[in-house]
Amino acid sequence: MPMYGDLGNKLVQHAKRTQNLSALPAYQTELVRSVTREVRDLDRDVASMLEPFQGSFDPSENQATACTLLVNHLSMRRNKRCLLAYHRTRTDKLEELVWKGADLIDLSGQGMADGGMNGNGNGEGVSSGGGGSGGGVMSNLSPQEEDYVRQYGDLLAAYKGQWTDIDLTGSLEPPRDLFIDVRVLKDAGEIQTEYGAINLTKNSQFYVRQGDVERLIAQGYLQKLG
Amino acid sequence: MSYYDIDAILTDAEKIPCTFQLDVPDLGYLDNNPTHALKTGTKIALPLWLAEMLAIANTGGGDEDGGKSFINFDLPAALSNDVVQALKADPRAVPLRDQSAHFYGLATRMMDLSDERELGDVLRKSFVTRASEIALHARKGAGGSGHHKGDDKGAGSNLGVGASGEEFLRGLDEWERRLFRKAHDGTKAGKEWMEGVKRH
Repeated sequence: MPMYGDLGNKLVQHAKRTQNLSALPAYQTELVRSVTREVRDLDRDVASMLEPFQGSFDPSENQATACTLLVNHLSMRRNKRCLLAYHRTRTDKLEELVWKGADLIDLSGQGMADGGMNGNGNGEGVSSGGGGSGGGVMSNLSPQEEDYVRQYGDLLAAYKGQWTDIDLTGSLEPPRDLFIDVRVLKDAGEIQTEYGAINLTKNSQFYVRQGDVERLIAQGYLQKLG
Repeated sequence: MSYYDIDAILTDAEKIPCTFQLDVPDLGYLDNNPTHALKTGTKIALPLWLAEMLAIANTGGGDEDGGKSFINFDLPAALSNDVVQALKADPRAVPLRDQSAHFYGLATRMMDLSDERELGDVLRKSFVTRASEIALHARKGAGGSGHHKGDDKGAGSNLGVGASGEEFLRGLDEWERRLFRKAHDGTKAGKEWMEGVKRH
């Protein structure tokens, strides 16, 4: 027989699995709703249980009621902790992904390149993703999480913008060569480099400056060769 | 232990045997019987998050039964005498995971609730003995390629661990698994770094 807190536990088990995954699994809308409903039900029970006492409840005279109230209260507190931990695990993951350069389009799992890709503009992809995500396409993020990613991306972009000569989200590996060979895996449009424009069409190969394409490699548009 | 710690929350869901010390009309559902009152003396396994506070909370009764609480609790089966005796005999031979996935977490919580000196001693010795065994397997698993000539048989993550080792590693609880992963990754990273140094 299910008891209070079981659903919350399920949510935390989801979070546990999420910790070991590289991508974010689908948001458990239904489960979250059930747990919050459980909290509301418990709260209603508590209110109706206390009503006849008119604010003068004495636990030592009504021990059974006191015990029931405590169980209800603990169940609510447990559910709260499960809900918060579930969401925090996900936002931690989202922040990590934003730092890695993923933008909203990648995260919602509908990643198609359509303009907005030009240059390594910080956070450009994030803000331009706003229009695309409203299309009701299946997303692993809840609407609130999408909003969180958008705002966190803006925040990170603003923070990074303070330094023009260093890319905070760039690779920490010191490059062996300034220039590398890359193959284009997905059409990525035209990018501007110091040496002119390059048109990145699928299956073509280029010898380019690593710093110009790092972000595109991270996003999976280009593959580094050699 | 953080409020948001997933493993701590899952540890809190571990159940311990409890006995109710009073009749509660509205809590029959805890004993699979929502239509009946919960009677004094009913034994139910309750999760830690519920049992702990019910055991600590004072019913606030008169002075004559001053220290009485809603429930009494016992040690869970995972910490029973059988398990403790087996751990005393050989800590490495006990698959802790079969007792509880959060064995040490559960034990720590139980020792916070009741004074179990001897249990603490046994567990401390068990952990130390098992930890060195874990470190041994983690090193073997991570250092398979190249330098150890005899170690290269078998593929995958358990490179060279062997059948008895696999059995031991399967029995690790969540805390020990984390330790294994850290030791494994550390050895591997150390090795990679050493190789990188040689190349330049």
